Amino acid sequence: MTAFAGLKVLVVEDEGSIALLIESMLEDLGCEIVVSAGHLTEAREAAAMAGLNLAVLDVNIDGQPVFPIADILRHRRIPFIFSTGYGEQGLPASLKGHLVLSKPFTLADLKRTISAALDPSHNPGPSQV
Amino acid sequence: MSNVEEFPAAARKPTEYDALVSAAPTALDAIPGAVYICDRDGWLVRYNTEAAELWGQSPALGKARYCGSHRLFQLDGTPLAHADCPMADAVRNGTAMRNAEVILEKPDGSRITALVNIRALKGHHGEVQGAINCFQDISAHKALEQEAARKSQELEDFFENSAIGLHIVSGEGIIQRANKAELELLGYSADEYVGRHIAEFHADAPVIGDILHRLSCGEKLDRYQARLRAKDGSIKHVLITSNSRVEDGKFLNTRCFTTDMTELHRAENARRESEERLAATYEAATVGIAEADREGRLVRVNDAICKMLGRSREQLLKMSFLDYTHERDRAEDQALYQRQVRGELDSYVIRKQAVKPDGSVVFLDVYSSSVRDEDGGFNYGVRVIQDVTEAKRMEDRIRESERHMRDLLEAMPAAVYTTDAAGRITFFNRAAVEMSGRVPQDGDSWCVTWRLYEPDGTPLPHDKCPMAVALKEGRAVRGKEAIAERPDGTRVSFIPYPTPLHDADGRLLGAINMLVDITERKQFEEQQKVLIDELNHRVKNTLATVQSLAAQTARHAESLDDFGGRFESRLVALARAHDLLTKRHWSGALLKTLAREVLGPVTGGADDRMKIDGPDVNLNPRIALSLTMALNELVTNAVKYGALASQGGRLSLVWQLRHEAGRVLLGLEWREQGGATVKAPARRGFGTMLMQRCIERDLRGEFDLAFDPAGVRCHMAIPLDAPAEA
Repeated sequence: MTAFAGLKVLVVEDEGSIALLIESMLEDLGCEIVVSAGHLTEAREAAAMAGLNLAVLDVNIDGQPVFPIADILRHRRIPFIFSTGYGEQGLPASLKGHLVLSKPFTLADLKRTISAALDPSHNPGPSQV
Repeated sequence: MSNVEEFPAAARKPTEYDALVSAAPTALDAIPGAVYICDRDGWLVRYNTEAAELWGQSPALGKARYCGSHRLFQLDGTPLAHADCPMADAVRNGTAMRNAEVILEKPDGSRITALVNIRALKGHHGEVQGAINCFQDISAHKALEQEAARKSQELEDFFENSAIGLHIVSGEGIIQRANKAELELLGYSADEYVGRHIAEFHADAPVIGDILHRLSCGEKLDRYQARLRAKDGSIKHVLITSNSRVEDGKFLNTRCFTTDMTELHRAENARRESEERLAATYEAATVGIAEADREGRLVRVNDAICKMLGRSREQLLKMSFLDYTHERDRAEDQALYQRQVRGELDSYVIRKQAVKPDGSVVFLDVYSSSVRDEDGGFNYGVRVIQDVTEAKRMEDRIRESERHMRDLLEAMPAAVYTTDAAGRITFFNRAAVEMSGRVPQDGDSWCVTWRLYEPDGTPLPHDKCPMAVALKEGRAVRGKEAIAERPDGTRVSFIPYPTPLHDADGRLLGAINMLVDITERKQFEEQQKVLIDELNHRVKNTLATVQSLAAQTARHAESLDDFGGRFESRLVALARAHDLLTKRHWSGALLKTLAREVLGPVTGGADDRMKIDGPDVNLNPRIALSLTMALNELVTNAVKYGALASQGGRLSLVWQLRHEAGRVLLGLEWREQGGATVKAPARRGFGTMLMQRCIERDLRGEFDLAFDPAGVRCHMAIPLDAPAEA
């Protein structure tokens, strides 16, 4: 499957086994995993890197919220989606309505959510932060 | 008149007329009384001086006819012509008249009553020759007679019209007369009464017998009581005052005054009946009634009070009510009674104890009042006494039970308070003070709390609180929550249980409210919510892990059997790690325990083939989970291909802690020995990949796996207390 061929993706996920799954799913969709970060420090660095087209963010990284990373991405107008076991209610008020993948999710869920994230109408700019 | 006839007759005896006419005038004057003579034609022929005096004139002889008076009247005052007077009759008819009375009027108008006697004067042959009239002045006598008649009339009137009944009874007992008052009293007419025997009208035969006997003996009766029968059958009570008239020793009649006493008698009867009824009531009353003098000495007591005090009437009448009063109450009762006697109190009520002769005590409610004379002076005290011993006992029991209830309410761990029907707070317990953070003030209504809020934080006025609703609507309110704010600003969530209280007749007495502090429950609910959210998160994460394990295992599996075995093993390892963490509430797990849990079941309990050694290390859940997955991969491989695949093979896991650059590093060494010769796998399997991910990526550790032909070796280094991420 090469729906999103060449799409450069940042994965932020603190559980290795889940990261493995997400990575393989993304690869199945034709994406290129630029960085798969299990910690916020790596994630922060990666978020600032050039050439990112998308980020899949676990909300809770080893007990820390991932939202500072989301802010960086938003400033850079890089679309991102959350993957979380908490569901949408785990998001702060400023991110309510943002695209969320509720764990566990299927390949089809991932594909649909990425499509939505890449749609400009679902990708609010920094002015709305 | 003819002298010729007279003459020859002279030889014979002269007639009366002749003699009288021929007599010298002095002869007529000698007669004591007035005399005049008329001839046969009525002409006046002779009269004497006294007649002239009575006439008040001296008429000429032969000129006046029948009478010499000026005018004549009958006794009733009607004029009488001279030609109709008795003298005229005598002359005309030769009749006589004896003791006739006639009134003469003199020329001066004065009148006299004259008694007249007339006789005709006849000749030898019986012929009427004239008449003589002798008359005398009876005016004085007449006046006396009239006076007597007037007096008699007055007496008659007095008798007849007297206001008191009067009757006269003959010696034989026959009623001779009865006056109007008597007849009216009895309702008879005179005909029905007078002429009957007096005994017929008496109701009591012995009484009238006695009355008549006494009167016949000349005894007087003074206000003698008797009963008379009236015509309508009713009985009249009368008093008879009577005396007898005795003349010449002979009992003539009795004069009786009859005074009607019926009304008085009826009033007297009514008074006596009323008194008797009162006395009966006094005795029959179930409350004690006593009368006491100024000093409190009992002067009258009824049966009830005797019974109440266990003393006879004789004993009580020798006592003062203070004598049996318990000494505790004596001074008070005495002081009050003295004030009442002095008129400072109209009455008073006292509950006191009285001592019976056997020493037992009764409780009495005494209502003391006075009977006073017209001037307000004290006559005697009236004391109405009720034995309230039983009622007092009940009251005590109720009070005791109330106190018990209060103690219970006070001891309750929930805030409890009560109000009256108007919502004013009447009771609150300690817990209520603690909960509201204040002592309710006098006049506080509806709720003991300082301020109230709805569960959503909007202010709730006290008069709209559930307790106010319960009181105003008369129903218990349930299922409400509210928040109380204390004066210090702290808040308490609570559930009120306001319940109205009614008396036996259903009237609202007030309400009781219990405030149950649910702060802890609220906090617990909050924690519960967080826990459930967290659990949900973990379950979802775990499911994602399972999803990943399944997907990756499947991707690398050689067959379905291979998938099954490997997937199961990984799933069980994951579950085991969860169990370990759950045992210690996810606060972490001991490395030694973890290693035994993961490795033990695989070696079938053959401890001699396995060495697990190292210092006590507590692993956080993240490290514990990752390490579990890694050790599971290592041991699975050992069982399948390594040291544990053949007899005699052994493995060891040892670890130590290293302090390095401000970090604590956990160094683990995995070593397999004595198994078949190890060949490195053709390709890197999922197991290796998983281990690497877990240790290097997730834990930022080192992972070094070597397929040494003598046995698999694995070195892992894991930073234990990684500095917190910014």
